[in-house]
Amino acid sequence: MSDALSRSRTAEPALDDAEARPVDVAPDAAVGPDAATGPDAGPVRRRRRRISPLVLFLQVAVAVAFVGGWELLSRIDVLDPFFFSSPSAVAERVWTWLTTGEIYDDLLITLQEAFYGLVIGAVLGLVVGFALARMRLLAAVLDPYVKALNAIPRVVLAPIFLLWFGLGIWSKVAFAVTLVFFIVFFNTYQGVREVDRVLVDNSRMLGASESQLIRHVFLPSALSWIFSSLHVSVGFAIVGAVVGEYLGSASGIGYVIAQAEGTFDTTGVFAGIVVLSVFVIVVDLLVNRVERHLLRWRPEPSHAEVV
Amino acid sequence: MVDAPYAIELTGMVKRFPTSDGGVYTAVSGIDLAVPAGRFVSVVGPTGCGKSTLLNAAAGLAPPSEGSVRIFGEPLEGLNKRASYMFQQDALLPWRTVLDNVTLGPRMKGVGRAEREQRGREWLERVGLGPFAGAYPHQLSGGMRRRVAVAQSWIVDPDFIFMDEPFSALDVQTRQLMEDQLLRLWTGSGKTVVFVTHDLDEAISLADEVVLLSAGPASRIVGTYPIDLPRPRDLMDIRTTPAFQDLYRAIWSDLRSEVMKSYERRALAVSNG
Ligand SMILES: Nc1ncnc2c1ncn2[C@@H]1O[C@H](COP(=O)(O)OP(=O)(O)O)[C@@H](O)[C@H]1O
Ligand SMILES: [Mg+2]
Repeated sequence: MSDALSRSRTAEPALDDAEARPVDVAPDAAVGPDAATGPDAGPVRRRRRRISPLVLFLQVAVAVAFVGGWELLSRIDVLDPFFFSSPSAVAERVWTWLTTGEIYDDLLITLQEAFYGLVIGAVLGLVVGFALARMRLLAAVLDPYVKALNAIPRVVLAPIFLLWFGLGIWSKVAFAVTLVFFIVFFNTYQGVREVDRVLVDNSRMLGASESQLIRHVFLPSALSWIFSSLHVSVGFAIVGAVVGEYLGSASGIGYVIAQAEGTFDTTGVFAGIVVLSVFVIVVDLLVNRVERHLLRWRPEPSHAEVV
Repeated sequence: MVDAPYAIELTGMVKRFPTSDGGVYTAVSGIDLAVPAGRFVSVVGPTGCGKSTLLNAAAGLAPPSEGSVRIFGEPLEGLNKRASYMFQQDALLPWRTVLDNVTLGPRMKGVGRAEREQRGREWLERVGLGPFAGAYPHQLSGGMRRRVAVAQSWIVDPDFIFMDEPFSALDVQTRQLMEDQLLRLWTGSGKTVVFVTHDLDEAISLADEVVLLSAGPASRIVGTYPIDLPRPRDLMDIRTTPAFQDLYRAIWSDLRSEVMKSYERRALAVSNG
């Protein structure tokens, strides 16, 4: 009996080997999470940090030098405005979009796709992760298939999803789901498996039934892992939606960028990227707040490494 | 009284564990232990001799490989539902507040929110943590977390309290306060306590009886020593009384030889590879 246990353990090294921290999978380098969530994206929870005035000053200086240099170089024709546009032209375009309101519909579509992708991917990942973590045999059997599926570069799925789900939002939702699912799945799996044995024993001694154990011990443990990777999941959901739009759609930010590209409208491409970046930053700030609330029971990370 | 069954009765208990290299490790062997109801029993022995193994058997968390466990005369099946278990490690749910942790037992048993919170607050007062009801475990010191664990195990009013080196991680002062508090809670409660420790001082000053385990593998009971020190006990002074010191010397000479054996075996195991 114990023999079978240890055998099933060695049979699924990949699912077991991950370190005891939220899993940050990057299934597709081409659409990695960093693009969407910046250098702050990571499984470790972020808290508000104090930035020293010097660092802040230098950060602003970098931005001013970059934007100023770009503007200057395109004005004196060192950079061809046809290929590189200019900050003022980009700003003007963004302003036009915002004032005429023509961009809001696209933003809303992208947001909608990302949201559905996030929710559906998270629920599926949670359920499957739970099932596999509680059923060792099933986990051992499915292990190679999970790995194979996760290894598929998502971009190649786009044409299939377009065929299956059409040009509307659902092909993009499906695309986002394939990205979000695996993050949530791996984190749930790990979260349930990594539950401290003594927490389970203690709760059982206090009279917990199997369903009470799931509710009070396993689920919170898994959720804490999932919330820890919320930034990555949200980033993936947006990336999935945008890349899906980019590859074939009739609306959304990805579509706007693809349209501009098709007409060699460099200004439009950059303006689209700017809008997308600001959008992602705003979403990320919201996620920060949600995360801080949901994980308030956790100790503050040490501030030793803060500059 | 003569016919009343023992609260805990281990008979011929053997516990084996599978080892990583496919073999079998016999942790304890031939354990016969009978604990009358209402007794405070301390179990001491070298590290790794099987103290936790005994508690786990009596709690029903890890049934013995051989032998029987009887609780008030009934063979134990599954978990010992009349027992609370205070583990050596931190076992509070980190995602629950102090109050929610203390009231976990009543909640599992279906006690309504108002009633269990009222009881929870009473217990928090009793262990001096009233103002910390809404805090999370990580915000408390190690000693405070232990007090939460004490409240958590006592609130369900069990017949047995099993404690596995509960205060070993605490500094000396905090530990003495906790021991004091434990004795005050236990006095007159009628509860049967099995208190595992590697600290002979602690074992003698708290218990009615000290059970000494031999070094593993196949650890067995070397002796049981009745502690007839008068109660209530003043833990500050008791350690300096001649009666305490006689008991200490008697048990320590046995314990020391077991500790030495345990060292030798480990050294041997290391040198053998
Ligand atoms: N689940 C287990 N699997 C394998 N060996 C175990 C297990 N639990 C305990 N042991 C072994 O049994 C012996 C007794 O363990 P334990 O009861 O925890 O000792 P103590 O509590 O006295 O320090 C130790 O040598 C330990 O390595
Ligand atoms: Mg132990």
